[in-house]
Amino acid sequence: MKIKMTSIYVENQDTALRFYTEVLGFAKKTDFSNGPYRWLTVASPEEPDGMELQLALNNNPASKAYQQAMFQQGQPAIMFFTDDIKGDYQRIEARGAEFTKPPTDVTGSTIAMLNDTCGNLIQLTQLARWSR
Amino acid sequence: MLVRSQYKPGPASGAQIRKDRGQNGEEKWTLIVVRELRHSREKVWDAITDPAHLREWAPFDADGDLGTAGTKVKLTTVGAPAPRVTETTVTRADPPEVLEYKWGDFDMRWELEDFGGGTRLTLWTNIGRRFSAMGAAGWQICFDVLDHLLSGVPIGRIAGPEAMKFGWQQLHAEYAKQFGIETPNWPVKARPE
Repeated sequence: MKIKMTSIYVENQDTALRFYTEVLGFAKKTDFSNGPYRWLTVASPEEPDGMELQLALNNNPASKAYQQAMFQQGQPAIMFFTDDIKGDYQRIEARGAEFTKPPTDVTGSTIAMLNDTCGNLIQLTQLARWSR
Repeated sequence: MLVRSQYKPGPASGAQIRKDRGQNGEEKWTLIVVRELRHSREKVWDAITDPAHLREWAPFDADGDLGTAGTKVKLTTVGAPAPRVTETTVTRADPPEVLEYKWGDFDMRWELEDFGGGTRLTLWTNIGRRFSAMGAAGWQICFDVLDHLLSGVPIGRIAGPEAMKFGWQQLHAEYAKQFGIETPNWPVKARPE
């Protein structure tokens, strides 16, 4: 048994695919249709066979309410880890993304937060290097 | 009499894709699937509108009859990993000739023409180019099952994951080649857009 996949709810899968690939820089992995149902996933080009993120259509009132509440409270729907948060911040902002929090030092890490335009906040995290 | 376990689809045939331009010049792709059936238009009309008939062959369940314009009907995709229910209003129903509604975001237009004592059934659906080979493969299998149903020897619906057990992948690959679409090997490798 392995942890290989997680999901994020998005308002529109086409818009989400553009954002997660063209703005964030992930790569489309699976795009499969069964009538109006669409299984759509992306992966990191740094780890093409690693964790997949499913961009799931948010067509459920319960998940919509949850998503909106989390967004309004400033809670991220998902976190991505990076080794270069400043570089990623500049690259992603230059592509037009709206950051609600620029890279900020917190205990143990540097974090930034951006709007994915699909109903979610995304947190970027760079863990602090510990020296002894 | 053919039993379900003996069913195998023939080679990919009967579907095409057409490119049009939308109002803003964007590409609009329509999948067109044609099937000639040795049955009357009235009989085929019932099969594409009556929920009890649809349940025997279609890739969705309907919670009401699709045969009257203005009716609101919920369609449930068969075999989706998460429930996918979409509501549509029948926008045109001229029995036994033309039927129009939406399945999710896709327009569905059915036309029934007299053909040599039977019916030529044509489905137009703007499924998009990317999914056209998947749709063509799925509809070919569904139309085979429909044909058996109309002939009085039903073999049971083959849609969603069931289609994978009956040669959908091979059909998909053949249609992708016909339509000039790149086919991913499953499981696919991530690649940049």
